Amino acid sequence: MDNLAFLPQWPPLINQMIWVGVLLAVGVAGGEAVQRLLRLPRITGYAATGLVLGPSGLALIGQPLLDELTVFADLALGLVLFELGQRLDLAWLRRSPSLALMGVAEALLAGVLVFFVLNYYFGQAALVAAVAAAIAMSTSPAVLIRVAADLHAEGQVTERALILTAINSVIAFLALTVLIPWLHLEYRGGWVTMLVQPLYLIAGSLVLALAAAQATLKLAQLVGKHAGRQFIVVIAVVVLTVGAAVALKLSVLLALLAMGAMVRNADRAHRFIVVDFGDAGQLFYVILFVITGARLDLGLVATAGAAGLAFVLARFAGKALGVLALAPLAGLKLRQAGLVALALMPMSGLAVVLVHETATLYPEIRAAVASVVLAGVVILELVGPIATQFAIRRAGEAGAEQG
Amino acid sequence: MLEFKTSEPLTLGVELELQLVNTRDYNLTRGASDLLAAVAKAKHPGEIKPEITESMIEVCTSVCGGYAQVRAELDAIRQVLGDAAAKLNLGVAGGGTHPFQKWSERRIYDTPRFQRVSELYGYLAKQFTVFGQHIHVGVRSGDEAVRLTHGLARYMPHFIALSASSPFSLGADTQFDSSRLNVVNAFPLAGCMPFVRDWEEFEIYFGEMRGFGIVESMKDFYWDIRPKPEYGTIEIRVCDTPLTVARAAELAAYAQALAASLRDDLAWSPHPSLYQVYSYNRFQACRFGFGATVVDPLTREHVPLGDEIVATLTRCLPRAERLGGGEAVAALLKAAAARANDARTLREVLEKRGSLPDVVRAACAAWTGS
Repeated sequence: MDNLAFLPQWPPLINQMIWVGVLLAVGVAGGEAVQRLLRLPRITGYAATGLVLGPSGLALIGQPLLDELTVFADLALGLVLFELGQRLDLAWLRRSPSLALMGVAEALLAGVLVFFVLNYYFGQAALVAAVAAAIAMSTSPAVLIRVAADLHAEGQVTERALILTAINSVIAFLALTVLIPWLHLEYRGGWVTMLVQPLYLIAGSLVLALAAAQATLKLAQLVGKHAGRQFIVVIAVVVLTVGAAVALKLSVLLALLAMGAMVRNADRAHRFIVVDFGDAGQLFYVILFVITGARLDLGLVATAGAAGLAFVLARFAGKALGVLALAPLAGLKLRQAGLVALALMPMSGLAVVLVHETATLYPEIRAAVASVVLAGVVILELVGPIATQFAIRRAGEAGAEQG
Repeated sequence: MLEFKTSEPLTLGVELELQLVNTRDYNLTRGASDLLAAVAKAKHPGEIKPEITESMIEVCTSVCGGYAQVRAELDAIRQVLGDAAAKLNLGVAGGGTHPFQKWSERRIYDTPRFQRVSELYGYLAKQFTVFGQHIHVGVRSGDEAVRLTHGLARYMPHFIALSASSPFSLGADTQFDSSRLNVVNAFPLAGCMPFVRDWEEFEIYFGEMRGFGIVESMKDFYWDIRPKPEYGTIEIRVCDTPLTVARAAELAAYAQALAASLRDDLAWSPHPSLYQVYSYNRFQACRFGFGATVVDPLTREHVPLGDEIVATLTRCLPRAERLGGGEAVAALLKAAAARANDARTLREVLEKRGSLPDVVRAACAAWTGS
């Protein structure tokens, strides 16, 4: 028997690499199939593939494996957030303060409407409703960026939807950071922690972001104005920053978003030239959406379907109201404003991460928050990208589809 | 048959085609529809119009008496456009070509006329995303238009060298000062007006071309310089859009001074040999700018273009002063003496900053700051 020790055991031990490879292959094929057969955005296909492979579907990927693979999704999300941060064009906001106002308005109104619907109509505890409302403020950066890139979208609806996404993600984070102390008070007690924790989270993340941005710019200067090499610099620093944020218990969302914003806005000497990740970046989106899809719990639609639907509708109403109300001031036609509101529909990986982050710290409210928000995410995982795609096409901003 | 509208002689009109870029990577972007909507209610002299692709916008002055009015109107339009563009986070720049855009990514502006042109000319329509300056000079009659067209044709190399601002195309240095005109050449009706002697002869020619079914109106001729009967002007079309409003206005002043000199010079009449050397001289000017060598058809001398431009500008200066454009011609003289045009400036920026997006960024700054 020893002579045959060189052979693998049967069945062979499936390792992580095999699963990642399978995910990527099936994911990209699924995306293509969905696009060609149903004319839906590819990312819907990626998410659907994940759903089919994951615990809610054929369960080829079990929960423990999924937990292991989550680190790849977090990395991918880190890159997405960095890309989103680059969209936070502070110069534009300074020139056009009504745009900043629009961002605040749509986020706040979405949050407020979701809170009222969940608290008054569905009787959720105020705190739970508030956390769900805070998460509702955000739009999925991954979906927006990916759909816009796939459609070669150019124009006002696209640009504004993207900068509003950056703004509402920041506001969502800040809202959660303000709510956490309240959470803390309710579930753990301790005034010191209540004040110091958000401070640590925000200030610490910003300091980390600053260090990361400086590192990126210095390295970018070193490698020169070559997009390929600078892309490697970005990956390196993003991975480092995600890891550092986790190690230091800081906010990955704020750190990466701020890092992207700082690289964009603080680059006086224009050393950094990577504006999007191009074809290589698509890899990370496939990973992100497939894993997010796998983490979705279809069972939630059965249990919290009504609340999830109400969540989705209230959120849309709030965002639409915010965008439409400020449209004339911000130089947008009402029709365009309506399309922007539609484009802001998606919720995906980021929302899932926010739910899990909050829930990991406070498992007491996990069930309530998770069920409502994630039920909404299941719906929006399908509907969101379609809404964005529709909005961009309707605005006449989609370019010729090149392959 | 083809009626020529009478116009106040030596009045000026300027049209400029401008680049619309995004402020992320400074590539051309779809912005014309949004920008036009944004300026629709604004008050400004002249007009702001779309061009064939969504990354272009055209501005025109009204009929101007001279240099000062042209300059003032262009400044006013630039201000209005700049304010709207800033709100939309778009950049506006001059320059005859965009250094690294890919023509296949351009979108045709959605009007029936542009769609027809796109249908007819295929990829040439999208390639025609080049940016030029057109200068109109008023003339009293069709006969004067024909005479002036022939008379000014020999100065086209001057306008090319002075305005050249398209050294880069598709991400590389073309070695030309003005690579824009190579795109114009591709069109079947490019070139020059045939050697007709007066308006009557021109009408006959036009009638024949229309009879063949090749043209419908003057718009279909993509000549370097052509009469424009609907406006009562001649139109110089060889200039690249300069990087600054100042240079654009100065070029118009030069055109006015030259036209005036020709009108004064009753003895001069056109000679067909001019058109024998025309293409060669034009190519030289596009390729070498001030460093070109042009042939004088009558003396058969090969003359360095830079020298000829300096001499002509010097000669025109008194006439320009009488027309109110002395300051403009003096500025051109200074530039010509230093052999400085926008093509050289753009190359220097690339040398200093190392990337083409930075060149476009500088072009935007030059346009705004001018």
